[in-house]
Amino acid sequence: MTASAPTPPQVTLDPAPRVAAVEDLRVYFQTKAGLVHAVDGVSFDIRDREVLGLVGETGSGKSVTARSFLRLIQTPPGIYAGGSISFWSREARDTGAEPIDLLEIPDSEMLDVRGDRIAMIFQDPGKALNPALTIREQIAEVFYQHRSAELLDGLDEERSWIIRRAARQQSRALERFLLKLPPLRSKAAKLRRRVDEHVAAALAETQIPNPKKIMASYPHELSGGMKQRVMIAQALACNPDLLIADEPTTALDVTIQAKILELIRQLQEAHQTAVLYISHDLSLVRQICDRVAVMYAGRIAETGDTEVIFGDPLHPYTRGLMAAVPSAAHKRGELTAIEGAVPELVSPPPSCRFHTRCPFATEVCATIDPALVETNETGHRVACHIYGLPPGAVGEGPMPSFERRTR
Amino acid sequence: MQIREYLIRRLMIFPLIIVGTSIIVFVLSRVGGNPVGIYLEHEMSAEEVAQLEERYGLNEPLPVQYFAWARGVLTGDMGWSGVSAQPVTEALIDRIGATLELAIFAAIVAITLGVGLGTFGGARRDRWPDHMTRVLSISGASMPIFWFAILLLIVFWVNLGWFSTGRSDPTIFESIPHPTNIYTLDAILAGNFKALLDALHHLILPSVTLGFGATAIIARMMRSSLVEELNEDYVDAARAKGLPERLVLRRHARRNALIPTVTVIGLGFGFLLQGTVVVEIIFRWPGLGRWMADAVLRGDQATIMAYVLFTSVLFLTVNLVVDIMYAYLDRRVVLGA
Amino acid sequence: MVDVPIPETTRIRVEGPWIVRLRRFAEITRRVLRNPTTLAGLLIIVALLSLAILAPVLTEPNVPDPYQMPRDWGARDAPPGTPGHPLGTTSTGGDVFYGVLWGARTSLQLSVIVVGITVTVGTIVGSLAGFIGGKLDEILMRTVDILLAIPELIFALAIAAVLGPSFGNIIFALSVVFWVKYARIIRGQIIHVKQNEYVDAARVIGDSKLKIYLKDVLPNSITPVIVQATMDMGGIVLTAATLSFIGLSEAGLAEWGVLVSDGQAGISAGKWWASTFPGLMVFLWALGFNLVGDGMRDVLDPRTESR
Repeated sequence: MTASAPTPPQVTLDPAPRVAAVEDLRVYFQTKAGLVHAVDGVSFDIRDREVLGLVGETGSGKSVTARSFLRLIQTPPGIYAGGSISFWSREARDTGAEPIDLLEIPDSEMLDVRGDRIAMIFQDPGKALNPALTIREQIAEVFYQHRSAELLDGLDEERSWIIRRAARQQSRALERFLLKLPPLRSKAAKLRRRVDEHVAAALAETQIPNPKKIMASYPHELSGGMKQRVMIAQALACNPDLLIADEPTTALDVTIQAKILELIRQLQEAHQTAVLYISHDLSLVRQICDRVAVMYAGRIAETGDTEVIFGDPLHPYTRGLMAAVPSAAHKRGELTAIEGAVPELVSPPPSCRFHTRCPFATEVCATIDPALVETNETGHRVACHIYGLPPGAVGEGPMPSFERRTR
Repeated sequence: MQIREYLIRRLMIFPLIIVGTSIIVFVLSRVGGNPVGIYLEHEMSAEEVAQLEERYGLNEPLPVQYFAWARGVLTGDMGWSGVSAQPVTEALIDRIGATLELAIFAAIVAITLGVGLGTFGGARRDRWPDHMTRVLSISGASMPIFWFAILLLIVFWVNLGWFSTGRSDPTIFESIPHPTNIYTLDAILAGNFKALLDALHHLILPSVTLGFGATAIIARMMRSSLVEELNEDYVDAARAKGLPERLVLRRHARRNALIPTVTVIGLGFGFLLQGTVVVEIIFRWPGLGRWMADAVLRGDQATIMAYVLFTSVLFLTVNLVVDIMYAYLDRRVVLGA
Repeated sequence: MVDVPIPETTRIRVEGPWIVRLRRFAEITRRVLRNPTTLAGLLIIVALLSLAILAPVLTEPNVPDPYQMPRDWGARDAPPGTPGHPLGTTSTGGDVFYGVLWGARTSLQLSVIVVGITVTVGTIVGSLAGFIGGKLDEILMRTVDILLAIPELIFALAIAAVLGPSFGNIIFALSVVFWVKYARIIRGQIIHVKQNEYVDAARVIGDSKLKIYLKDVLPNSITPVIVQATMDMGGIVLTAATLSFIGLSEAGLAEWGVLVSDGQAGISAGKWWASTFPGLMVFLWALGFNLVGDGMRDVLDPRTESR
């Protein structure tokens, strides 16, 4: 808010190391209507211990971007058409190892990343929890999948192959049956108790009262807020380096939203995890995020520090979004909305995606795609022709014809 | 909580439907002419016939006759079965074991194959294994059971000699007591391994024949509900945990896809029941179906009535149980979410 | 789910001048036939129908009644390939080839008659229940529930049995049994369609009830009936053949079920052909219509599974 245009960069020259770097990501969908460019050349970084907000309307491609981190897009109809997502695990950062490309690593390696190094919280906890399994069973899966060695550690005398396989969830039907019979039963019970301790600890961390009781419940027996806590516990179970939160509070009551938000922030600090926070709700983003990237129609429109973006939005779309947020400054009944809807993304022509709805659009907007370029403030980048920035150049001074409106 | 109301309504309607069914059965029996026919002998005079009618109450108005018959049914008196020369109730009890055994084994075949095929196809949606299972299950629904049975007999009985018709090897069958009249169960109770093998050996062909058609119904349902479940968020959430696809499919998607599949088990059971008539004829299986077929050919109305009523009540009961099971299994439905 | 707009196949609303309807019909047909299994089903149907139509050309019709099997007492149990009997003969000298061809004719008549009757009756009853509603609906639908309580084949079997063995009685029995489904389907559809705005619009304009029903409600409710009728074209032949096999037709009729039944006795002696070929025809007939019906259902109403 205090940021004014001409001040020199005040950011330290040594920004936090990156956890992930998305480079020119392109994800398309083959549909009956044609090839939908859902994500079309998106680039951004996520830095260590920061909360990055990815903001946009429905259909802007923010969820697709987030899911691409874990390769959760079904192919077909989805196509990873280009770009890369580099990821530095804590270990890689410490040892200075090369990042892995999440779009390129083999499936087996991806399984080790999912739920362990990168975890995800979903929009509707009511749908993201399996209705047929108890909470215990669902969280336990994460430990079995990624922490089987630790689970077995100290169970030395119990290390029969059948128990080892059980700890890795590799048991076949016959083994599962044998595990219920006397000689193995007690051994399996020991393993089980161990997992239960982990599960209870994970749940306790999310301030769930009476974790033991919650563990035995089915999702439908819990409230929405409770379910989201369970999802968070599950996501943070293995202490991931990156947490992807896909609109984690959208499906919740407003009163619970704040608590969940607070919880995510607290746990993020405690676990020193980077968070990619996806939302269409600007006020939430402003509360929780360190930096923001605004997405529109499969592109990044603008990105920068939260304060900068909210204090001095440059892209007409971002400004429109801000104006659409009801606030105390608005008079009663005066709610602004951006005209029109997100354009069709089937084989889009080279143009600014926003030009059809932009009040400042000129001819150039309809023919040339604006690049995302750095403005005078470090880290603040915008993709808009209005600023007359030749690609790659850093602009100086206030923008022509687009005076910042100060109230 | 709507589901509870639905179930209560269902339970209340159940007896009404059974009464309705019994009326239809009764009407049916009177459509085909005077039921006194079965008691007639040659050279009976008109007076003697009238006496007979009087004796069995056949000169009373139809509603009175219906209530007399219904009272009989409720007290276990369903008349005389001409084809088996014994009281209908007795004949029914004698044969029910064989038919139930066949139906249960056929159901095992149908459920195992149906769930397996449905999962196989649904998990590979719109790729060639899916098209294959689709064609296979439509083939199952189009297969005339009588023809399939004959084909199997031609191959496995006539040409290969692996199996034969009938329910058992008579000498082995008679070597053990039959308290339940379900051969496999009797063999287990008697601890006779040879008899058990004999029972299973004779069960294989007829239960595969009978189960094949119902396989199609289950496979289709399993496939479409699996496709639906695989689109659910919790499947992505399971993947996001790092679970291998095998576990995502088996522990998460399939378990939930099975729930709606339960609803077609009732339908499949009806399919099995009507299939027993043909299968029992061809495999010379001494059950209710063959009894019915005999009765049909000889116009034995008491037997036909009893069979139709019994089968319908069984079919209705199975469907009721399936509905209750479904309501219990699908926790999402119970909550009305 | 991924928030990408993916166009969905939705229920097609019937409206507009006939040229528009025709074009839409062509579009639907094109979509239905894009599926290779549906196309295969259609080819099967075309092949079987040609056999039925060409039967009098390909074989010498039996006199006086061509639907009775001709008997060649000199060539009983002849294997396939015997001169004059390409598919062999039965134990009573019936030519299997003749039975297969004329059986197709029998089946075609049977299925057209029964589907015609059942669709008409079912549509009328279901429309009355759905469009008028109230007490009438309650009574009709409870009756339907009761009729559906008896498994199809067993019900038909019982009816045909009390009436005595004849192919005419089989047709009657099947008609009594099969209309019930249609009544239920069309009632559900009509109740659904009635809630649409265009029906309200017609009411506001002042169209008569009958006109609304014929112009707006029925055309938009009929799709699942067409799908079901297509499948029943096969299912009816299948059930009729089963009843014939059990012995409820006249002996000697050129009908597939009768032929399979005739041939059954011979299989233990290695005479496989007399049952195999007619049974195969029943299978192909049912398969063809089921494949096409299934393909139509995928396109026309993707959400409904039958019943």
